[in-house]
Amino acid sequence: MENGSWDFLGSKGLVKKHEFVRILVQCLYSLGYKRSASCLEQESNVSYKSSDFEFLEMQVLSGNWDSSLAVLDRVFDNSKDEARNTALYLVFKQCLFECLKRGDTSLAINVLQKQAPMLKVGKEKIHRLACDIVTSKEMEYGEVSNFLVEDLRKRLLVELEKLIPSPIVIPEGRLEHLVETAVLDQIDKCLYHNSCDAVSLYKDHLCGRDQIPSETVQILMAHKNEVWFVQFSNSGKYLATASSDCTAMIWKVLDDNRVELMHTLQSHQNPVSFVSWSPDDSKLLTCGNAEVLKLWDVETGVLRHTFGNNDNNSGFTVSSCAWFPDSARLVCGSSDPERGIVMWDTDGNEIKAWRGTRIPKVVDLAVTPDGESMITVFSDKEIRILHLETLLERVITEEKPITSLSVSGDGKFFIVNLSSQEIHLWDLAGEWKQPLKFSGHKQSKYVIRSCFGGFESSFIASGSEDSQVYIWNLKNAKPLEVLSGHSMTVNCVSWNPRNPRMLASASDDQTIRIWGPGKPNKPENRLQTDTFLLFEFWYAVVFWIAGIET
Amino acid sequence: LSIIFCVNQVVGDNDVQSIVMSYLLHNCFNETADSLASCTGMKQPAIDRDNMERRKQIIHFILERKALKAVELTEQLAQDLLEKNKDLHFDLLCLHFVELVCVGKCTEALEFAQTRLAPFGKVQKYVEKLEDVMALLAYEDPEKSPMFHLLSSEYRQQVADNLNRTILEHANHPSYTPMERLIQQMTVTRQYLTEENGKDAFPPFSLKDSLKG
Repeated sequence: MENGSWDFLGSKGLVKKHEFVRILVQCLYSLGYKRSASCLEQESNVSYKSSDFEFLEMQVLSGNWDSSLAVLDRVFDNSKDEARNTALYLVFKQCLFECLKRGDTSLAINVLQKQAPMLKVGKEKIHRLACDIVTSKEMEYGEVSNFLVEDLRKRLLVELEKLIPSPIVIPEGRLEHLVETAVLDQIDKCLYHNSCDAVSLYKDHLCGRDQIPSETVQILMAHKNEVWFVQFSNSGKYLATASSDCTAMIWKVLDDNRVELMHTLQSHQNPVSFVSWSPDDSKLLTCGNAEVLKLWDVETGVLRHTFGNNDNNSGFTVSSCAWFPDSARLVCGSSDPERGIVMWDTDGNEIKAWRGTRIPKVVDLAVTPDGESMITVFSDKEIRILHLETLLERVITEEKPITSLSVSGDGKFFIVNLSSQEIHLWDLAGEWKQPLKFSGHKQSKYVIRSCFGGFESSFIASGSEDSQVYIWNLKNAKPLEVLSGHSMTVNCVSWNPRNPRMLASASDDQTIRIWGPGKPNKPENRLQTDTFLLFEFWYAVVFWIAGIET
Repeated sequence: LSIIFCVNQVVGDNDVQSIVMSYLLHNCFNETADSLASCTGMKQPAIDRDNMERRKQIIHFILERKALKAVELTEQLAQDLLEKNKDLHFDLLCLHFVELVCVGKCTEALEFAQTRLAPFGKVQKYVEKLEDVMALLAYEDPEKSPMFHLLSSEYRQQVADNLNRTILEHANHPSYTPMERLIQQMTVTRQYLTEENGKDAFPPFSLKDSLKG
């Protein structure tokens, strides 16, 4: 029964108290706390079931179909409402079933010919009622016990509850839904949010920088010259780096997230500027702007194949390469427009090639994780997305030169770095007319690479010519964090796909830095720092006084 | 694509008479067939008179809205025929249901449906037809329902034809008459010619137009 006085809750008085209590009661019932629920109903004088619904319940359970139909007719105000007609249909169906099982066929005919049309249930539903007589599963029961009838009537009520509108019946799980909506809203506003863990209800959710990689945890020094490329393997257990010292290196990520050198891949004659992990992480491709493409076995570090090396003088220089999901086929693009784009198998057999006037110099290349599309960046402003089966092509022309390309883990988006110091994010589905733009870093002369990262690819990280690593949350065009540490241009970054709190960066300063969760910027810490500063101040005062006195 | 040459060939009287006779026998017009035979002096082909008599009766029962009697006679004539042709059996039972609804015996129709039609309700391909048929119960005046075609004599004729063909097939007789075959061939040939040469040169075959002369 509803309380006559309309008390309101909340600082702005927007919430009706009796509605709030009713939702609480529903929640208690659904959690299984029947006694508490009924106790609350008594104490507050707010009943979970509305009087209309309780009446309907009684009528349905005792098989008073005329009253049941009358209640439903009253409760739904619009006769065209699909929910109304379904509810009435369900009641008629049960009524017909019981008539026929009793042997009362003339009443059944009456229901079909007179009662149903009178309530304007709709022709479609009436035809279905007639058909149900011979096709519905319930009709197949031979002998019908009272127990069965009772059970069917209860099930009918459950179905009716789903159809009847509020406030007669309130939607299932209403309180949980409202709380979840609030939590999701808070998470949406949280820029550092980087996990799928449950969130505490005790305070408004807000993540700090301890959620994303923002502090150097390790510096890897092994290359003898500028490090141009870094990438974690798909499993997140390995790291590959490439350097202008003409080598590539494979590192292992240990259980405590420390990184250890595993293999040094030596064979290239020229700087290596690009690597690519096979989807199963068993093979690694290395190549360079003025270098050929080589295939290595990850476990042993042994060179398996060098591509296109038919004549010793002119090698097939490959600027970038990508794998297909089967880890057996790969595709590479050349910085030499004569060579074009070539698809190979791992034994070195050419499968397909795109050459000719339409294929200029390839800046960067990628294959979507599902293997269906190939994205190519052509010198220097054109992006072409080719669907490999339908051969449909989509072209995006940027305004400024593009230096690199990166595809998100779910294959839905990709980013390109432009030499105008902007990163553009595009959707692969092709629905966006304009890209999302991110800026704040420095890039004008060199090839700088960026990547997606974090939980659900919510972040982008990029290198920069000012020797810092920049991190953005996709919701904001301005950087969320700027990480200092390197002493020269940061060329490339890679976010561990299995560890949202681990990032690697490669720099001209010949090192690779591994970044991990930062120190939290919680008020308690600030208090500690403040207190510490206070002590420092008084020490200084004491020493000064002491200094004067001497 | 083979082009039929219209050779100026005279079609013999005998051939024409045979075609007409076979049509009459197929449709059980035995009296007319006897008349034709005596008028033209042609020999009637040896056919199963008994089979034809029974088919005649069965067809009449259907047209006279006695579908159950038709079913009974069919079962006498060929025991497993309806078992092997469930679609046809279903159509005949539906006809009986429709007959009951038409004379206002709704409760009897409902009970008949529950016992004889319900088993078909479990098979997906009959459900749509069953929906149409059962829905007739919801109308006090079935003629005014959207499914009124089920009450028509054209529909009954259609079912009767179907049963006739099935019985002939079952007895290893041809289920289509030469006349029908000829008209079918004519239509298809015309269709090819129209596709090749356009509607103006060769309009599609129309029996109605041909009969006008």
